[in-house]
Amino acid sequence: MNRRKLLGGLLAGASVPTLAACSGGITSLKGDGAGGGQGGGSSAGGLVIGTANFTENQLLGYLYAEALGGAGIKTSVRPNLGSREIVIPALQQGDIDLLPEYQGNLLLHFDDKAPQTQAGDLQNALTVALPNGLEALSYAAAEDKDVFCVTRETADKHGLRSFSDLKKQNGKLVFGGPAEDKNRVVGLVGLKNRYGVTFKEFKALDASGPLVKGALKKGDVDVANLFSTDPDIEANGWVILADPKALIPAQHIVPVIRGAKADTKVRKALAKLGGALTTHELARLNKLVDKEKKDPDEVAADWAADHGLTKK
Amino acid sequence: MIELLTNLGHWLTSGAQWSGPDGIATRLLEHLQYSALATLVAALIALPVGLLIGHTGRGAFLAINLSGFGRALPTVGLVTLVFLASGLSMWPVYVSLVALAVPVIVTNTYAGMAAVDPEVRDAARGQGMRWHQVLFQVELPLALPLIMTGLRLACTQVVATATIAAYVSFGGLGRYVFDGLAQRDLVQVLGGAVLVAVLAIALDLALAAVQRLAFRNRPAPSQAH
Repeated sequence: MNRRKLLGGLLAGASVPTLAACSGGITSLKGDGAGGGQGGGSSAGGLVIGTANFTENQLLGYLYAEALGGAGIKTSVRPNLGSREIVIPALQQGDIDLLPEYQGNLLLHFDDKAPQTQAGDLQNALTVALPNGLEALSYAAAEDKDVFCVTRETADKHGLRSFSDLKKQNGKLVFGGPAEDKNRVVGLVGLKNRYGVTFKEFKALDASGPLVKGALKKGDVDVANLFSTDPDIEANGWVILADPKALIPAQHIVPVIRGAKADTKVRKALAKLGGALTTHELARLNKLVDKEKKDPDEVAADWAADHGLTKK
Repeated sequence: MIELLTNLGHWLTSGAQWSGPDGIATRLLEHLQYSALATLVAALIALPVGLLIGHTGRGAFLAINLSGFGRALPTVGLVTLVFLASGLSMWPVYVSLVALAVPVIVTNTYAGMAAVDPEVRDAARGQGMRWHQVLFQVELPLALPLIMTGLRLACTQVVATATIAAYVSFGGLGRYVFDGLAQRDLVQVLGGAVLVAVLAIALDLALAAVQRLAFRNRPAPSQAH
């Protein structure tokens, strides 16, 4: 009697969680079926892609839309939302689902003391540092990072190939870059502490804009802080100085997504795009928009079709 | 907010902040130097033009419209344009500040000259005064209050805009605004902005006082004619 009671109780008690597990199983199966398997989220409802307020980021947003569209996922793009201070909260609040970001700067946004500078370390650190609900997917080959450039003539004249070579010219060269370069590690402070490099003078100009590039071209500055995807570097044959001690953090393009929308289809589509998109290609696309005044969405559509991400 | 204002107060009053090559005293002097030279050059260009078109009544349409065009020029755009042509020098700063000040002085000088009663001008000529005597002994003194107003306006605008020197790597109070923005140092940005505003207002009040003192025996010029 006692035993039967116990058994009955066991059965009764067991049946409830089993039922619950069943219903849970059914809903999650549904989600998986639509989303295409593991990964936690579902892209079935489509994704809203947001972008920051500069050309390259908009281009990347449209490239994401093309890549996802090619994989049969519905998207809409909300370009030009603003700076990181605006787009990250928009992502956290679910106003947007997906955002093209940059490894190093994104990590510093959440952890301003993060010491990592190399791509793999940064990716791991991002996985830890991103707030709950956000996830960094596979990063692209393309990278838009700070580079310190000299003209071909300066490089040849002083034998400059890397930051270490700058030491030979200590106190003789003029460095040009945005005002923040004066006091930050990715700038004069890091060059001095890590490489022992000092300059004759620092000129506060703009960030890879017309002023610093004009000054480099005219020889008013010898070393300029530019961005690696700036098409003018290649157009002018400027030399990017190597950074053997990894002072400057890697800034590979990385998709940041709300976990609820991240399924295998999305991961694969964006990883495929990331594999095909190199720094050189991204610089070329930037040029098409900035210099040749093409529409970023059309540039992205053409590129995606050319690289087999969508059907022509 | 309170904390920000407290920090701003510290920033503005600390002795360390005022001394040294990056100190407020140096930046203030640089700022005044840029502003004074730009206003002076602008006055040397604009006063003769304004007096000439006011005296002859010719070319007013062209000059006033050119001035309007000059006022509409975006200063930062002009700085960048001149920078790309001239390279890293003070030229972009002075060209754009002068371009900013000239229209104000020209239009005010012309307005002052145009407001001179034609009967007074005729009477002067009727007494046998030569053109330069009419200009310098009759028209100019009568137009002077409005000319002074133009110079005062130009001076205020130039002081408020001389911050752009920092945009092309030079000094002045704009250094705090640009560096502060770059370093996300809000106190420094606000400190720079407050100093520029106070300087512009102080200069305007001082020039207004000079103006009042100089013309205290004179009724306000009527522009009803």
